[in-house]
Amino acid sequence: MLKLIQNEWMKLWNKKITWIMVILLVFIVFAGLGITKWMNSTGNQDIDESWQENTQAELASINLMMEEPGLSETQIDNYEEQIAIAEHRLENDIAPLEYASMQQQVLDTHMMMSLVTLLTVIVAASIVAAEFSQGTIKMLLTRPVKRWKILTSKYITVLLFAVLLTVILLISTALAGLIFLGIGEGTLLTWTGTEVAEASFWLEALKLAALKFSSIWMISTFAFMLGTVFRSSSLAIGLSIFLMFTGVQAVFFLQNYEIVKYYLFTHTDLTQFYTGNFLVPDITISMSLLVLAIYFLVFMAISYWTFGKRDVTA
Amino acid sequence: MAEQAIVQIKNLSKTIGSKKIIKNLNLDLHKGEITGFLGPNGAGKTTTIRMMVGLMKPTDGEVWIDGQSVQGDFEGSIRKVGVIVENPEMYKYMSGYKNLLHFSRMHKGVPKKRIDEVVKQVGMQNRINEKVGSYSLGMRQRLGLAQALLHDPKFLILDEPTNGLDPAGIREFRIYLQKIAKENGVAIFVSSHLLSEIELLCDRIAIIQNGELINIKNVNELQKSRYYIQAEPLELVGEVLTGAGFPAVLHDNGYLVDSGAEHIPGAINLLVGAGARIFAVQPYRETLESQFLEMTGGGEIAQAHTK
Repeated sequence: MLKLIQNEWMKLWNKKITWIMVILLVFIVFAGLGITKWMNSTGNQDIDESWQENTQAELASINLMMEEPGLSETQIDNYEEQIAIAEHRLENDIAPLEYASMQQQVLDTHMMMSLVTLLTVIVAASIVAAEFSQGTIKMLLTRPVKRWKILTSKYITVLLFAVLLTVILLISTALAGLIFLGIGEGTLLTWTGTEVAEASFWLEALKLAALKFSSIWMISTFAFMLGTVFRSSSLAIGLSIFLMFTGVQAVFFLQNYEIVKYYLFTHTDLTQFYTGNFLVPDITISMSLLVLAIYFLVFMAISYWTFGKRDVTA
Repeated sequence: MAEQAIVQIKNLSKTIGSKKIIKNLNLDLHKGEITGFLGPNGAGKTTTIRMMVGLMKPTDGEVWIDGQSVQGDFEGSIRKVGVIVENPEMYKYMSGYKNLLHFSRMHKGVPKKRIDEVVKQVGMQNRINEKVGSYSLGMRQRLGLAQALLHDPKFLILDEPTNGLDPAGIREFRIYLQKIAKENGVAIFVSSHLLSEIELLCDRIAIIQNGELINIKNVNELQKSRYYIQAEPLELVGEVLTGAGFPAVLHDNGYLVDSGAEHIPGAINLLVGAGARIFAVQPYRETLESQFLEMTGGGEIAQAHTK
């Protein structure tokens, strides 16, 4: 299996498009942070509030939200944590991270990860489909290696590529942040479950990225399935990217119906359980994990079944 | 040829929709023997080959390779097979060497040294590090052969292997295949449209039409010793030849005689003695092409009939 993955990895990096994607990713990160620096130095000069005033305002708005009726338990827990952290800051005079700093930007990297999804979808959709369109599939399948092993090596390669892109994203954000913004002042605080404590921004950023990875994983698996079933990378890429952009919007349309709880995109982003910005109020992490697992199994079953059974006439 | 068959095709059938594409095909292939696979377009050559290498699943029947069934133990059987199905499509964005490295990793026990060896055998040393996209069709065929030979297969399946090779390349290719069949005992199964090429290359020829094997012949059987004698007057010549015990058939302006070379001078003496005027005596070989067309009824595309 290791040799098969090695093969897929070699094919991936011998294509120009792969390198272009990586360069594009790094370029966008640098450009984005460059713009942040420029905006920070030109605008906002007259707004001169101290962090204490900001925190107080934040605290007031959370308290206001707490009074709304029909909050779920997860939401209340989350608001209480935010209140505890804010109060701790004010009592002990601990400033939060500056927005235009390397630390805060690395922490927010998970918000840039849809870029990674976009690029991974392209690879996931074409890794099987391209073998059919190039005609190389018949060379690949007339080897003493069962079809499911070949498919597995391709799938693992896609996931490795997604992990690598995420790491590249984190590192280039840190580098661009250091160059443009500097490391920045302030301290990051988190709720450990019993008390408020200082946290490492690296560790927090990694946690968030790992949670966000569930979304990349699911959409890539979907694209992988489409590429395997339809043997056309353009169709698989198009459909996956379309769903990636419209899928989350559809959550808002479905909000008032029971079906939203079983809808894939209600659950793809697991960072919602960490940051408290829920798409749909009364979902729990165990429910999300179960729904994701079922979708995953269905996508995989369809991919393996079609790839294993199909007569190759390409 | 009495040795046990390396490849046995047993009752192979394929039905797609309601159409029976391959009907109960049976064929044995032997060690060291080159078998040609001929048939008009649409007769089922490619489908048969795809079932032999596991790209398609037969509706019925099995293919056995050296004691293992392709349908039962895919990895165990296909390990012994080298394949070129139609044009050898390679990864165009990688060098020839990386392509070979890629395929070698899919077999057990193919060291890097073996890649260099095969590259040398097919004469690709000078271009092997260039991208396959820059290769000519002939070079791709060579690379295709190289990947099929990487793991030292006992059985080689080639679909249209000389397509795109120049005459010198075809000759080199033929000599090379005959050499590995003879020296390494590899069984080779070649499908081709180039009848003259098949005739020169193969020991045995299997002809398929409308999904059925209609004939299996040894090439030396086709090439049994015959002579064409052109002489006058025809009646006299016929009488003399049959009188002397030569089976003679009228052909053009003379007779075809089934006979070994050693009897020909005697026949000429008889004819001269009887006063016949002889214009030509030459060895006669019916071409495979005329036999093929005769057997398949003109070589039109197989009629689409449903059962």
